[in-house]
Amino acid sequence: MKSLTNFMDSFGAILLAIIWIAPLLFAFWAATHSTSDAVNLNLLSPWTLENFRVAWAGAPWLKYFLNTFMLVTIILIGQFFLTTLAGFAFAQLTFRGKDFVFILVLMQLFILPEVLIVENYAMVSRLGLFDTILGVGMPYMASAFGIFLMRQAFKGVPIELHEAARIEGCGLLGILWRVYVPLAKPTYLAYALVSVSTHWNNFLWPLIVTNSPDTRPLTVGLSIFGAPENGVDISIISAATMMSVAPLLIAFLIFQRQFVQAFLRAGIK
Amino acid sequence: MTTSTFVKLDGIAKRWNGQLGVEGITLDIPEGSFTALLGPSGCGKSTTLRLLAGLELPDEGQILIDGKDVTTSAASDRNLSMVFQSYALFPHLSVAENVMFGLKVRRVPKQERLEKLHRALEITGLLGYEGRKPGELSGGQRQRVALARAIVAGQRLCLMDEPLSNLDAKLRNAVRKDIKKLQRDLGITVVYVTHDQTEAMSMADTVVLMKDGHIQQVGSPEDLYSRPNNTFVAEFVGAPPMALIESTALEGFGDDKTVGIRAENIQIVPAGTGRMRCKVNESEFLGAETLIGLDHDGTSGLCVLQPGLSLMPEGDEVEINFDDGNLHVFDDAGKRLAG
Repeated sequence: MKSLTNFMDSFGAILLAIIWIAPLLFAFWAATHSTSDAVNLNLLSPWTLENFRVAWAGAPWLKYFLNTFMLVTIILIGQFFLTTLAGFAFAQLTFRGKDFVFILVLMQLFILPEVLIVENYAMVSRLGLFDTILGVGMPYMASAFGIFLMRQAFKGVPIELHEAARIEGCGLLGILWRVYVPLAKPTYLAYALVSVSTHWNNFLWPLIVTNSPDTRPLTVGLSIFGAPENGVDISIISAATMMSVAPLLIAFLIFQRQFVQAFLRAGIK
Repeated sequence: MTTSTFVKLDGIAKRWNGQLGVEGITLDIPEGSFTALLGPSGCGKSTTLRLLAGLELPDEGQILIDGKDVTTSAASDRNLSMVFQSYALFPHLSVAENVMFGLKVRRVPKQERLEKLHRALEITGLLGYEGRKPGELSGGQRQRVALARAIVAGQRLCLMDEPLSNLDAKLRNAVRKDIKKLQRDLGITVVYVTHDQTEAMSMADTVVLMKDGHIQQVGSPEDLYSRPNNTFVAEFVGAPPMALIESTALEGFGDDKTVGIRAENIQIVPAGTGRMRCKVNESEFLGAETLIGLDHDGTSGLCVLQPGLSLMPEGDEVEINFDDGNLHVFDDAGKRLAG
């Protein structure tokens, strides 16, 4: 009975893994073979990098990469700044209405960003940030999840360290910067990984707010590149897709261990 | 050692939601002295220290340090250092960075910082450990890092909150001597919180015994031991603590008083010549002497010390004697009567 359970556990895990990775493997297969070989799944057909060359020449990818990179960086910086300050306030300061405000922040977790797209669009336009990278990133900066995560991390810091820093002459922001932030490093790392991968892959909002190749991130660029009116060539689209996901995929493979550990260590307290 | 008042607490009170924190704490602490705040847990000794440190603000009263009113000053403006029970070392910083933390915050020039660091590490015997993280040190070494951090800035007042309670017994004895020596050599004023009377009695010039938020007695260790203010002090100080006898059980003391006597002032005498007849209820061999617990109506904690190994079987009857000169007499409220 026990061995059967074990077998089912492993079997289920392997099955899930296969289902999950199958599209990626197919994309890799298609990207490295000519279109007809790819569709026929001819295992002995010759490998080629021609698709990548064609795809690369077909759109301003470098600009798209740069845009996406800028976007995730700006969002991450904004999130670190805002969630650190807000998380610290919720964790260690006392002020009137703190619990009420915190519940408001938590309620934001229940609202899908897509619901707010129209309102966000109007707001970004009013601010004159339409079709700018800052405009794409802005709605995500005050992340409720991030605030909650930082609050939990800061709450885990022993109060004696706070008091010791106070006696040694630190002001409130000094304590935050010298004690709380360094001690929450694993949480920052975990949060950065989630944030970067989320916004690297974000599609709908950037599609709506961006209007030109100068601001378009990879996801939007890729969808335009693969749109039916440009002609569907499965191999070339796969090659473009592989290029788009490559940086994230490679980073994940390299930082796999830290990724998992960061989540274990940043566990909700 | 000068005798001028360095720290002054005047009528300090702190209450939490109507609950008692401390009440009416008035205390003068001379410069260069070693003052121990002693008492059972929950007596308000740590609260008193935190009020002094500026980690809490008092509801009433005034605190003066070096003649300056600091009642509402921030902790960082009080020019003092503190050693925490848990040491409160920053786990992400090395020993050197931990010790220099305050100097860096206060923007002391780098050269001076390094000189002070070297001196503090030299005094505490930590040279060679500069680069280690607190997690890589033993409990005793962490304790010394905390001490080094407390003395590095040269503050004249150092507060210590049960700094030895996380050490094992052997180390505790050694560190106790180190702290005392450090305090004398540097001439700093130390206010030291502890629940361990051995620490308080062996280290302090002045012991402040507290209970339920009130000061019970302030005095030298010898004062507390031989002239306890009240029955609480009598029963708290000393090992074994003073035995208390209701005056009804003794002749010549009326019937509403309590009489105290220390174990070393009681002698076991042959039957028929003693003042009280008691039953042995326990024998405890302590090494150099044997502690014999005695039972008698109207007494608590009555015991006698016998030299060497001299266990007595439980249930034996013995007679004891003592001199009136060694008795401490307390009134019906537990307060010491003159004498």
